[in-house]
Amino acid sequence: MYQIAVYGKGGIGKSTTVSNIAAVLSGRGLRVLQVGCDPKADSTSLLCGGQPAPAILDLLREGKKNLQPDQIIKTGFNGVLCAETGGPAPGRGCAGRGILTAFEVLKKSGAFDACRPDLVIYDVLGDVVCGGFTAPMRGGFARQVFIVTSGENMSIHAAANIGLAVQDFQKRGYASLGGLILNRRDVKNEDAKVQELADDLDTEIVGSLPRSSLVPEAEERRQTVVQAFAGSPMARQYEVLAQAVLEKTGL
Amino acid sequence: MRQVQVKKCTCTADVSGVCSALFELGGMVVIHDPSGCNSTYNTHDEPRWYDRDSLIFISGLSEMDALEGNDDKFIADIEDAAGSLHPAFIVLVRSPIPMMTGTDFEAIAGIVQEETGIPTFYVPTDGMHSYIEGAGRALEEIVRLAPEIAGKMPQEPAAVPKRDLADRCRSGVNLQIGTDGRRLRVNLLGVTPLDFSIGTSLLSMKEFLRQAGFDSACCLAMDTGLPEIAAMGGADVNLVVSTAGLPAARFLKDKYGTPYVVGMPCGFFSKVLAEQLHRAAAGEAGGVCLLPDPGIKPGEKSYIVGEPVICSSIARALALESGNFYPRVICPIQVPDRLRLPDVIYAESEEELEPLLGQAGVVIADPLMKTFCGRGTLFIHLPHEACSGRMFRAGIPDLVRDCPQRILKAPVWRQMS
Repeated sequence: MYQIAVYGKGGIGKSTTVSNIAAVLSGRGLRVLQVGCDPKADSTSLLCGGQPAPAILDLLREGKKNLQPDQIIKTGFNGVLCAETGGPAPGRGCAGRGILTAFEVLKKSGAFDACRPDLVIYDVLGDVVCGGFTAPMRGGFARQVFIVTSGENMSIHAAANIGLAVQDFQKRGYASLGGLILNRRDVKNEDAKVQELADDLDTEIVGSLPRSSLVPEAEERRQTVVQAFAGSPMARQYEVLAQAVLEKTGL
Repeated sequence: MRQVQVKKCTCTADVSGVCSALFELGGMVVIHDPSGCNSTYNTHDEPRWYDRDSLIFISGLSEMDALEGNDDKFIADIEDAAGSLHPAFIVLVRSPIPMMTGTDFEAIAGIVQEETGIPTFYVPTDGMHSYIEGAGRALEEIVRLAPEIAGKMPQEPAAVPKRDLADRCRSGVNLQIGTDGRRLRVNLLGVTPLDFSIGTSLLSMKEFLRQAGFDSACCLAMDTGLPEIAAMGGADVNLVVSTAGLPAARFLKDKYGTPYVVGMPCGFFSKVLAEQLHRAAAGEAGGVCLLPDPGIKPGEKSYIVGEPVICSSIARALALESGNFYPRVICPIQVPDRLRLPDVIYAESEEELEPLLGQAGVVIADPLMKTFCGRGTLFIHLPHEACSGRMFRAGIPDLVRDCPQRILKAPVWRQMS
């Protein structure tokens, strides 16, 4: 089992990218588990026809105890295994603590032993805003972190912060930086800006995705591009990216 | 309102359970907590605190350090203290605040170990579970790591400010492995003052083993040292005398195949227990012997309240001695499902305790539990350090030698019988 985590600025397209990668790799015969780490609990929505896996924290809130794998994992498109940590209501509680609790439940439930995934992908909310959001990159979880970014300044700024956090935590034995995923917004000098960031972080651009109208169209259908527009040029782009990520894992 | 404790005193919590389990082993216990005073964890229910040196520290976590996740200061303080004291090992213990902020203790332990060269581990407490959970985890972990830690210990005593600790840890002088090669060697597991205080109970358990023809190998973890713990895998059978010893017993069973028996010797039950030890050592019942069925029905509305293994053993001793009457066991302490025994009523909340004890005919329990009993209840005192701390320490009996007889001689017991 190899585990990776995907971070990036809110709204940059992490869940869409991760879901498409998961769909491609699962379609190739890998057992892939996608874990959404966001209080909104919608990471796996596109894989599950708009009905994502039940959020672990929602189940805890309902008083359910000793959660079992079949209670927290839902099988989505192409057989991708889907889970969502969930979190507190907006403006309440502590989302970071929520992630940590959900991770404890995930481990304790025996989900990894029961599902035996080849690849686990953690789709993590926005920035590494507190200790709880480092949970996916801690010992025993992801071994590599990938950061989704565009050439927009705010996105690059967020990616730089995440990259520095990953480097800072190296001493703790956390995940290493696997590379950047460029999700184009077609801003000026986009390639050069993201390449500069990669150089600064001593990493590489693992893959890049063009801007495509097929992405929002697929979202309208509550599907991944790989499902809604199989064989399209954009689906092909996701296949190339998935292959690049897979090669980084050594699977 | 459910789960509110108005009458019931909170028993010792998991953090103190870790401290109690590791108190004598020459390791540095560091509690990451804002409290600036060790009494929060160690004085009220740690009888050794007053006349023995200890290596228990509290980090003094500040609001800003918690807010900023300033783990570097925590690490630096640990390494500074360790540099002066040269402990045999370092254990990090979590309190509620770093639990909430998600401090990564496993990573910090790894850094401290790498930078100091001192074996360092973490016990995942949160201050919200009972001492049984904390002590159980700590004892299991020290049994797991003792061979590695003992191997790294210096030949000369470390600069631990407690001479008796260092002496004990230095050369295994307390190792009591039999020399004739015929007597079975037995480890005692789960011995802490929280359940046995510092009276003569431990000596009596060792005397029981001697009289029953066994050699006592290691007592986890009082009057012992790391070399003895490191050698525990060489014993023939383990005797689990409290629930806190169960995780370590299971670990030793998995790793070395050592069979184990659950029960505390006392009164006529001691003879049964000795037979169980021989059976377990011979591999009967897969090498696991839980407390045997008393063979008669429990008395109506009569209860013994406290630690499950101890109280179940006393109840069986009473069954054997009275022949027709024994109390049911109620455990008011939080015990995780994986450590629960059959035939014990686990009643942690007041809602569960009140209907049982309020209607009881006879209750044997810590004096602080009397508040639950009705006016007609006949009450026999059995003080428990983890329940009332030092308040009734002088009244804690030798659980092995005196307990069943003391209860049998109590006028209220005779009245009930």
